[in-house]
Amino acid sequence: MTAFRLHHLLWLVPLLVVLVFLPSFTTTFITYLLSLICIYVIVALGINILTGYTGQMSVGHAGFLAIGAYTSARLITDLGAPFWVGMLVAGLASGIVGFLLGIPALRLSGAYLSTATLGFGLAVEQILQNMDSVSGGRAGLSVPKPSLAGFVLDDRSYFYFVLAVTIVMSLLALSILRSSVGRAFIALRDSEIAAQAMGISLARYKTLAFTMSAFYTGIAGALFASLVRFLAPENFNMWLSIDFLTMIVIGGLASVLGSVIGGIFMVTVPYVLGELQDLSFILMGAALLVVLLFMPGGISAFLSRLLDLVTGRTTAKDIEQHVAKPMGQLGRLPEQSQSANAPASGTDLLGVKES
Amino acid sequence: MIAQQMVSGLAAGSLYALTALGLVLIFKNTDVVNFAQGDFGMVAAFVALMAISQFKVPFVLATLVAIVTTAILAVVVDRLTIRPMKNASMLSLMIATLGVYMILHGVAGAIWGRDTKAFPSPLPSDPVSVNGVVIGQGHLWILAFGFIISAVLFVFFRYTTAGLAMRATAEDRMAARLMGVNVSRIFALTWGVSGALAAVAGILLAPLVYLSPNMMSDVLVKAYAAAVLGGFGSLPGAIVGGLFIGVAENLAGEFISTELRTTFAFVLIVVVLAVRPTGVFGRRIQAKV
Amino acid sequence: MLKLSDVETSYGKIKALKGVSMEVPERSIVALLGANGAGKTTVLRTISGVVHPLNGTIELWGKRIDRVPAERIVGMGVAHVPEGRHVFAGLSVLENLKMGAYGRKDKSNIKGDLDRVTDYFPILGKRRSQPAGTLSGGEQQMLAISRALMARPKLLLLDEPSLGIAPKVITEIFSIIRTINVEEKTTILLVEQNAFLALAIAHYGATCSKLETSCFQAQLRSSSRVTR
Ligand SMILES: Nc1ncnc2c1ncn2[C@@H]1O[C@H](COP(=O)(O)OP(=O)(O)OP(=O)(O)O)[C@@H](O)[C@H]1O
Ligand SMILES: [Mg+2]
Repeated sequence: MTAFRLHHLLWLVPLLVVLVFLPSFTTTFITYLLSLICIYVIVALGINILTGYTGQMSVGHAGFLAIGAYTSARLITDLGAPFWVGMLVAGLASGIVGFLLGIPALRLSGAYLSTATLGFGLAVEQILQNMDSVSGGRAGLSVPKPSLAGFVLDDRSYFYFVLAVTIVMSLLALSILRSSVGRAFIALRDSEIAAQAMGISLARYKTLAFTMSAFYTGIAGALFASLVRFLAPENFNMWLSIDFLTMIVIGGLASVLGSVIGGIFMVTVPYVLGELQDLSFILMGAALLVVLLFMPGGISAFLSRLLDLVTGRTTAKDIEQHVAKPMGQLGRLPEQSQSANAPASGTDLLGVKES
Repeated sequence: MIAQQMVSGLAAGSLYALTALGLVLIFKNTDVVNFAQGDFGMVAAFVALMAISQFKVPFVLATLVAIVTTAILAVVVDRLTIRPMKNASMLSLMIATLGVYMILHGVAGAIWGRDTKAFPSPLPSDPVSVNGVVIGQGHLWILAFGFIISAVLFVFFRYTTAGLAMRATAEDRMAARLMGVNVSRIFALTWGVSGALAAVAGILLAPLVYLSPNMMSDVLVKAYAAAVLGGFGSLPGAIVGGLFIGVAENLAGEFISTELRTTFAFVLIVVVLAVRPTGVFGRRIQAKV
Repeated sequence: MLKLSDVETSYGKIKALKGVSMEVPERSIVALLGANGAGKTTVLRTISGVVHPLNGTIELWGKRIDRVPAERIVGMGVAHVPEGRHVFAGLSVLENLKMGAYGRKDKSNIKGDLDRVTDYFPILGKRRSQPAGTLSGGEQQMLAISRALMARPKLLLLDEPSLGIAPKVITEIFSIIRTINVEEKTTILLVEQNAFLALAIAHYGATCSKLETSCFQAQLRSSSRVTR
């Protein structure tokens, strides 16, 4: 089984080039969108850790984004904290909340877990609406332009900052998920019972997944606050949580590349459709169904196979096979699904060779 | 005051219960957690409104048309999206219904617009006073219909062959097939009945709110909570859960804070789940491996 | 009455049957024996249409049934008591029995059949309104068999009715299986681990093994019909 192929990330090279040079040629609005894409990518990484890798569905991640955004905004406006300090504290605050939510969530799964997370997201929104001291009440909360080492960042420099954070967070996610931690996540997702039998602590890794996921989303929240520079609780509603979930499924579950693609998709499509909000709903829904029914592993897996084809590593027939097969276990990498029949596929994930 | 809150709580709770019943039915029989359940009700309300205002259909007939349309819609959704995903995990099925939810939302917005519309009701709605307790008649109607429908469902599941076959299929799909039950027909029936339940909830709610694609969002969320509280698998549990949440949030609104009532309801649920991870009425659900 | 020819069945990539051939003569009891994993359960599942064979044919009274789905097989007179009983745990004993008669057209005879099966297993009559999940293992096995009888099958497929049941109850169940065969003229294909028990009531014995491509079948006592 090839769990991961480096050359799949080749897709990111031209993307990066475009991202680095595009702001020089375009309007501030495009720059804004590019920053937003990066922020969504960080969120997607966060949710993917929880939902894609560990198999825990969250319908409340807008809550973590809100916690990150408001923590950072408050630190900056009230305490005059530097913007990057706000960001780190935001990540930590959100991570702590994620840890706390992870404890009752330990015993939950399926419908129960999704309800608990849904309730969490709604509660955060409602609490913010009622805590004028935090959210600024009706007037909302304005956030000053971010500044770094005494320099106020303009839109373009802020974008480069966000891009840098995104790259760091992506690499961090890659290295963690490729370590034994990531394999433990996947083992838990594929079978909690088998994973525990192999000595993987359910409590430790599930709460760790919640914490990491919340940390990522909290960081994204801080970046978001300084990008939009105006916060209102309604912006962190259930729909946003659903958008987040949608983007990782469309981009590709349990995949860093999938997170990147999902983030791009979720920002660009509604923007391109502009006023056509209903069409955007329909397209998103249809995209979800198409991916679930025909593209196991989302767009990223599809592109990877395409790249394999181009570089001659695989044949058209392989692709056909993959595309034709409706997705079975959600979140299972396409490479894994070939060995899905083998008992306890978790064993080789952990590097333990079956004799 | 308390009595008043109780009645409006029970009325809201009946709507949650009706929607939760549909959720639980679908889950029990087909292993799908259906996010689109609320939007089935929304579609029904719009169809009824369109029949009444555009085609001048009498109210009762319009309601029937809406219920049948929604039931068919639910069956079609099952056939086109859920059935083809045969061996998918619970998570993917859940997300698929999220896709359906978005599509229904978008389609409703495109056809009927996002501006809110009033829904006419032939039933009297002015408040009545019982022993000094002022009660909205709208609430009483909801309670009455909620009760009637629960009773009908009870009789259906207890005394009809189709009801028995549905319960048997929920218990053990393979054994039901060996008895001669056409499982895919049972699935269609399940989705149809659930769609009809959602339609009733939507039409009952419609006169109290304005119609919009979002009208059922709040009900769906609470119905979810109700289903979970009831153990996501028990029909009586869904009813009790729905009524409980309706009353609890109204009392919380009265005594704690109106704005935080949803939060309160969910804190309660997280506490309940922390103690009993399978809800109050729940049996242990075997994880699908 | 039932004839399997070169039946091959697989679960995904796992090939469970590699060409099984056997015959079940009318009114006989055929015991199908074999080690764990030999494919006995799969033979029954293939007959009752829960899984379909990749190759080979299954004929019931000369009619091909290997492509008929499970829910229609029972209407053709084949009832399958699956391994592990599979009673509807949340339904009452009576409701379980009613489910057994689900596909029947002659609804008026069902009442009488209910009495008839509870005559075989009186305990079920006493427990009629109790949820099936609360019955003991032996009682559940009795219920599973009775439920299948409610379909008035011509051919009864029994998969390890002795599984996890005390010897005394096993004896009771096996003597009733015998009675059903004699009194109701029901043909029985019986899968058993316990060869001694099974051969005691069977007219024919067949063995299934992973290594062989077909079930070896031998006549035990009766000489009326011969299969290979
Ligand atoms: N649902 C399934 N999926 C995959 N493989 C299966 C499935 N059911 C059975 N098998 C495999 O098919 C083979 C035959 O299984 P089967 O259950 O028919 O054996 P059996 O003779 O009934 O065994 P036992 O005596 O243990 O009941 C076994 O190797 C088993 O692992
Ligand atoms: Mg067996």
